[in-house]
This record gives sequence, C-alpha cells and structure tokens, in this order.
Amino acid sequence: MMQHFPILSIMVLFFGAFLNGIFGGKNAKARKIIVLASIFLSFLMVVAMTGPVMLEGQIISYWLGNWEPAMGFAFGIGLEVDAVGLFFGLIISTAVLVSGLYSFEYMSHDDALGYYYTLYLMLGGGVLGLVFSGCLFNIFVMVEIMTFSAVALTAFRNEKYGALEAAFKYLVVGSIGSTSVLVGTILLYNQTHTLNLAQIASILPSVSNGVTAVAFGFLFVGFATKAFLFPFQPLAADAHAVAPSSISVLISGVLTKTGVYGIIRLVYVLYQSMNLGPVKTLVVFIGTLSMFICVTMALAQHDFKRLLAFHSISQVGYVITAVGLSTALGVAGGLYHAMNHTLFKSLLFLTAGAVLHQTDTTNLDELGGLSKRMPKTTVLFLIGAASISGLPPFNGFASKWMIYQATFEAAAAQNNFGFALVGIIEMLTSVLTLASFIKVTQSVFFGQMPKKWENVKEVGNGMIIPMGILAALCVITGVAPSAVEKYLLAPATSAVYSVGKYINAMMGEGFAEGVSLSSETVAVDLGRSGYWNPLAWLALLGILLFGAFVAFVLLRKEAKTKESEAAEMFGSVDEKFEPFFSGERAEFSQVGGSDMFWGFKKVMRPYLDFMHDAHSGVVNDYVRWAVECLALVLLYCVLCGL
Amino acid sequence: MNIVLIILKWLFHILVFPGFLFTLCAALLLAGIDRKLVARMQNRVGPPLLQPAYDLLKLFGKEIIIPRQANKKAFLSAPAVGLASLLVTSLLLPFSASFVAVSGVADVIVVLYLLTIPAVAIIVGAASSASPFAGVGLSREMVAVMAYELPLTIVLVTVCRKAGLMMDESGMTFSLATVMQYQAEHGAMITKLSMIPAALAMLFIIPCEVGAHPFDIAEAETEICEGTLAEYSGLPLAFYELAHYVKMFILTSLFCVLFLGGFTTGVVVVDLILRLIFCVVVTFLCITVPHAVCARFKVEQVFKFYWTWVLGLALVSLLLVWLGL
Repeated sequence: MMQHFPILSIMVLFFGAFLNGIFGGKNAKARKIIVLASIFLSFLMVVAMTGPVMLEGQIISYWLGNWEPAMGFAFGIGLEVDAVGLFFGLIISTAVLVSGLYSFEYMSHDDALGYYYTLYLMLGGGVLGLVFSGCLFNIFVMVEIMTFSAVALTAFRNEKYGALEAAFKYLVVGSIGSTSVLVGTILLYNQTHTLNLAQIASILPSVSNGVTAVAFGFLFVGFATKAFLFPFQPLAADAHAVAPSSISVLISGVLTKTGVYGIIRLVYVLYQSMNLGPVKTLVVFIGTLSMFICVTMALAQHDFKRLLAFHSISQVGYVITAVGLSTALGVAGGLYHAMNHTLFKSLLFLTAGAVLHQTDTTNLDELGGLSKRMPKTTVLFLIGAASISGLPPFNGFASKWMIYQATFEAAAAQNNFGFALVGIIEMLTSVLTLASFIKVTQSVFFGQMPKKWENVKEVGNGMIIPMGILAALCVITGVAPSAVEKYLLAPATSAVYSVGKYINAMMGEGFAEGVSLSSETVAVDLGRSGYWNPLAWLALLGILLFGAFVAFVLLRKEAKTKESEAAEMFGSVDEKFEPFFSGERAEFSQVGGSDMFWGFKKVMRPYLDFMHDAHSGVVNDYVRWAVECLALVLLYCVLCGL
Repeated sequence: MNIVLIILKWLFHILVFPGFLFTLCAALLLAGIDRKLVARMQNRVGPPLLQPAYDLLKLFGKEIIIPRQANKKAFLSAPAVGLASLLVTSLLLPFSASFVAVSGVADVIVVLYLLTIPAVAIIVGAASSASPFAGVGLSREMVAVMAYELPLTIVLVTVCRKAGLMMDESGMTFSLATVMQYQAEHGAMITKLSMIPAALAMLFIIPCEVGAHPFDIAEAETEICEGTLAEYSGLPLAFYELAHYVKMFILTSLFCVLFLGGFTTGVVVVDLILRLIFCVVVTFLCITVPHAVCARFKVEQVFKFYWTWVLGLALVSLLLVWLGL
C-alpha cells in the first residue's frame, strides 16, 4: 500500500480539482467537502510516508503503469520519494492544508470561488508532484502546472489595481524560467538519452562536456526563477501584493521551495558538482545577493504584503547561501531554514490577510493601533515577526544560528575570506529584517489608531485557528531544534549526499556500483562549534520573568490608580492618561511606515535611489534582466567548464 | 539529594551570583561611579555614589500611568522582558577561563542576539504606548541598532577567529570560555597588534549600544522628550533605568571577556574585583569621557559614523586576523 502513496497523494489533489470543477461551481457545501477531503487525504498520506522514509531510511519508488527499467534503461515515468523530497513534501502539504483551512473564511467576500479552489488544488498538486517526481520531464510539466495556476490565482482579484499587470509580468518572466528548464532538459536528454533523474545522475559524471555545462546553466536559472532569486525578485513583490493572502502563502511558502528543491537536486544529485569551487561560488553569490538586496528593498516598502514578499526572497537567499556552502551543516541549516521560512512567512501572510480582510487595505501609512481591536492577530503577528527576525527562542533563530555556524566554519576550514564576509552579510540582513518588522509592528498594530479603524473587529476562528497552528509550529520547531534535527534534518541531509542509494532505489540494486558510486547511506556529521540550548535558556528567562511578575504584582497594588477612579475624582477626562504632546497636540500624528528610519534612509539614499530606479515596474526591463542573467550564468558555466 | 543540590546551585547562580543580585549591585555601582566622574570632569560636585539606587527606590513607589490608547499587556511586559534577558546574558559571560555560571547553553552568536532583545523590548514598549514622541524615538533606536550591529558582528567574528585559529581544529570557535582560555594561554587580546583596531571599534560600539550620551539619539530628552521612554512612569520606568545600567555593566564586562581576558588568578573573588576594576576603566574610557566632552550627534551622523569609521576599524582587524597576523 505504502508504495502507492506518492502517486495517490498527488492524484487526490488533481482529482479534487477535477471534481470541484464539475460540482463545486455553485454548491458551496460540495466545494467545501471536496476541498477538505482532498487536502486532508493528501496531507495524511504524506505524513504516513515519514515513518519508513525519515525513520527507517527507505526510499519509496513508484513506476507508473509498472513500466520498470529494463536492460539498465528507464523507459517509464517514475516517482521517487527520498528524505529530501519528503522533507519538502511535508513543508508543502502543511502549507497547502493551512492555506486551504484559512481560505474558507478569508475568501468569503469573493465570488467565482469554484475557480479559486480548482486552481488552488491544481497548484498544490503541481508542487507536490514536482518534489516527488523522479523524472526530469515531469518536473518541467509540474513547473508549468504550478506556474500557470499561480499566475491565474495572482490575477484572481482582478478588480484590484495592478492584479492583471502583476499576473502578466509573472506570466512573461515565469515563462522564461519554464522554458529555461525545458531547454536544459532537452540538452540533458540529448547527452544522456534518458529523462530519469536517477539514470541521469549515474551517467552525467562520465559525459561531462560543454553541452551539459550549458544544460546546468539553463536548469539553474530556471529553478532560480521559480524561487524568485535575484534578479527575479520584482515579480514576487508584484504578485504577492495583489494575490489573495492564502495564495501568497502558497507562492511564498511553497513555490519558492520548489526552486530551492530543484537547485538542491540539480547540484547535489544530478551533477554531484557541489565540491567544485565555481559552483559553490555561483550558488553562494546568488544567494547572498538575493538576501541582501531584497532585505534593503523590503525596508523601503510601505505596503504590508509587498514588504513580506521581499522578505520571502531574502529568506530564500539564506537557504540558497547555506546550501551552496556544500557542508553537511550548511545543507541541514538551509533545509531547516526552508522549513521555518514556510512556517513563519505563511503565518505573517495570513496575519496580513487578516488585516486586509478587516480593513481592506495593507498600506502601512494608513493603518495603525490595530492591537486594541485585533489582539489575537497582534500576538500571532508578533510571534511570526520574532521568528523571522531571528529572536531567540523562536525557530528563525535556531536555523539562522545553524547557518551562521556553517558559514563561518566553512570560511575557517577553507580559509575563505569571502565566506566570512558572506557570514557577516547574513547577520546584517538579520538586523535589517528586524528593522523592517519593527516598522510593521509600529505602523500596523501599535502606535496611534486613526479614527476610521475604531470599528474594526477581530477576525473569526476560521482564520485564527490556521494562524494559531502555524504559530505553535514556529515555537515548537524553535524550542526543540534537536528533535527537528534528529527526525527531519539528519535523514534529509544524508539523503542529499547518498546519491548512489537514490540511483539504486530507482534503477535496481547494484546499478550505482556499476558506475562506481557507493550506494551506502552517507552518515552526516552535524557537529558544530557553538552551543544553543533553548530549553535551558527558556528556564532561565522563565524564572527571571516570574520574579519580575511578582515584583509587578506586589508593588503595583499600592501604586496603581485606576482610570475609572481618577475619572470619578477629576471629572470625565484626566489629561495624564493622554499621550504626552508637550502641549502641542495638533502638530503630532501617527508615525507611519514611511516616516521610519530617517537617518538610515538619508545615508543610504544613493543606494536606495538606484534600487528604486532599477525596479522600474516595466516588464520589458525585467525580461532584459532575466535574459542577461541567463546569458551570464551560461557564460560562467561554460568558462568554468563544469 | 543530588538534584536538589544542582537546583540550589542553579538558583544561587541565577538569583545571587553572577545573576540577579550581583549584576544589579555591580550595575548600580558602575552607574554611580560614572555619574560622579562626569560631574568631576565638568567641575561639579556630583551626586552621591548611590544616587542611581536612590532614584530607583523612588521610582518603585511612584504611580504607574498607562496611557489610554496604549496596549496594556505589551506596555507593561516589555520592560520586564528586556531586563530579564539582560540578566540571563549576565549568566553566560565567563569570569575566568574556569568559571562560567551556566555553560553549554549559548555561544557568542546567542549572546549577540540576546543583547538585541532589550532593544526590541524598548521598541515594542514604546510602540505600544501610542505616543508620537515614542514613535520617533523607536525609529531612532532602530537606526542606532542597525548602525552598531554590523561592526559589532565583525568584532565578534574577529575575536572568534583569532582564538579559534589556535584553540580549535576547525579554525573557528564560538565559545566565550575558549576565548578566555586562549587569552589565559597566549596573553590578552588587546596585546595583539592585529586586535587593537577591533578593540577600538568595540569601545565605540559600547556607548551606542548602551544609549550613552553622544549617541543617545533615541532618548534625546531635549528634542523628543525621552523618546522611547516618554510615556513610562513608576515601576516600568525603573525597570528600563535598571536595564540601562545593567547593559552598561554587561557590555563593559563583555569587552573584558573579549579583550582583557588574560589577567586572571583563578581565585573567584580576586577575579571579580579585577573584573570590576576593568569595567570601571572601560566605562570611563567609552562612556564617561564622551559624555562629559561631546554634544549629541544627529541621527544620520551616528549611522554614518558607525558604517564608515567603526566598520573600517573592525574590517581592518578582521582582514589582519584572516591573514594570520
């Protein structure tokens, strides 16, 4: 039974989309049942596979139509679930599930919901199919399915300003990425005469030549487009700002992860080229650029969702950088951060959605003081913000800490000054991330409340519960990093390096040995030179906070004057409970998003102006960037002779 | 029996030494000395040595006013979280190569991040007070954090690399205890030529991180009425003041760990007194003198200063250490 789960978990979603297309158009109840049934079934099947794959180290492979390889050649279409694929599968199905649960209340104001859920299920199925696929051509097919569903969903609220424009940009540049994947696939097929990932991996090291180097460049750029890495970041910003928040969750938490997955598969498994200096340099360089440029772009935004969109790419930059270090600790840290990014960024997008749902705007300059009206959303947002800013003890800190360790250790071990600078940029990026979330905290949830938001209400449980699930996961994965490491990261990291095992699971025992690859499970050593024990730290903090609480209670009893008592004594209004204006009330207003960080912006003005001009919003420019970048990467790949 | 002893030992470390009680006393003493020295340099008599303690006692008894528009929970819990995380940090700093109160819990990167939590607490507290002055203040506070965090990171990496080259086979260490060990064996970091720029950079970073005078853009009472603290009164304000003093002690103490680590005797009491003396010297150099001499910088001047001069100093050191000097 278990070996059918990979195909079933994908089929359930596609079949749900099909059924929903037929029955879900008008009938809300049928739609709800179909959607819930398919996302839950798919989720359960993915979770069920963790037992054998993560704990016992098996690889589940499945041949469609039972067309198994004959004479050492893979003819059929295969699915292969190893620990890396399943790791991403788990991330994806969790995000799809949460996004689906959230959609029911969140999308209640929209019409044409039949189309929405059909596209949503197609997107989920496409993404899950991509990470479980064992065949390069099917990866391309799934890339196309997910890109087109995502484009359509971006334009779903097409009454909104910019929705069609964003979808158009995404369509054009996304197609360049998809085409790039297709061209890479064709070139590889030309050289290896197979499309099966395992077989390509077994052949490639022996036929390495100029054509495979070009194919590498095409595939790398193709997957980088899917992860919106630099220079594709403007697309994500436009798409996220207009897409429904439940779809932003999928675009940011899931689509970008397929890019990361593709790059990991490409460099570690297909080409096994991660030990080459030029590849390392390329991957780390792209990752670092994405990380830094996008965080500075995020600082300059004044739309909640655009800001989150730039942070998505900045965080994916961390993942790519860590993966590019080519150490076991780096891969583990990167995977950990990929998971955490899905959790906290989905949470943040959902809180942004909650604000949008209740106020109909995400403009940071207009909002303010919502914490009094939406207390639960505020707490959930603060958890997400603390996680992404990497404040201990939340999950963002645990994974960033691992990435820092990996970066500095790689720098020290290879005596590479460049990596040391990369490590410093990583830490700087973290501070800038904190700064931009301080901006959101102040200008959306705290600060003064403009009059027009006085009647805003908290969102219902249909939205609070999905957000609560994500917030709980953020805390759990942050407080128990050793458990995450043992059950998820160590198997996945080991699978990244166990190429021979991957080949054998697909092509039959002894195949990897035939091309002189070991099929042993590679044991990974995640040892590191630092210490971080969140539970002990929490215990310390807990004791001290308890002390502070006691002090508050003891001392406050005598000193506190209730406002109501004061009102009785002095009449209706007591000035001392008003904010302090030094007597000039009229001069002051809410310090909104655009007013923050004046000194920083003034000093960085030339850089920010340059970035502002570069992100022109014209699709022609973005296409030019894409093509130029593709050309540069191809040139680099050929010159370095991968 | 054994477990009870361990728990008692932990509680002693947390509550008495080197945690709560000791850190508070040392911090208040340091603040008192600082004020006295500033006064003497400005040809004033100055307050008594225990004036900070008297101020705090007075604040404990004052009424707590919560602005009507404020978010009460965030407004009241922010100061406590900030102070608590500072006190936790004080437990993680080693006093000598052999004595760390709580080891195996955190490393240099964790300490770096723990030190940002008080700043975040101040910012969240200020944001929740819904005051426009606090809004301006928190924006400036964050600019200050962005300004000093980059050079601070580089200084820490430099020290870790320098110690790790000799002490750790991977060429990098993140343990403060190892940094102390290195200095015990090879002499204090400050005596190494390549580390002097980093030490200078650290001396510039401390006043900004503490929010001391020439860099106190976030509290600037003459321009924005104490900025981040504008709405605070009574006990929460006392917590903030206390956090300010504790931060002063912890950062000077961190400087001693990073750069003045070699001079230890192994006797805890003697080490303690030595550490306090060093702390006073460092405080005098990087907090008292600028306070008495300089006027407050403008916001963008602070940012520019840290991202050019201080960053440059730190980078020079990192490069020298990387070249093996």
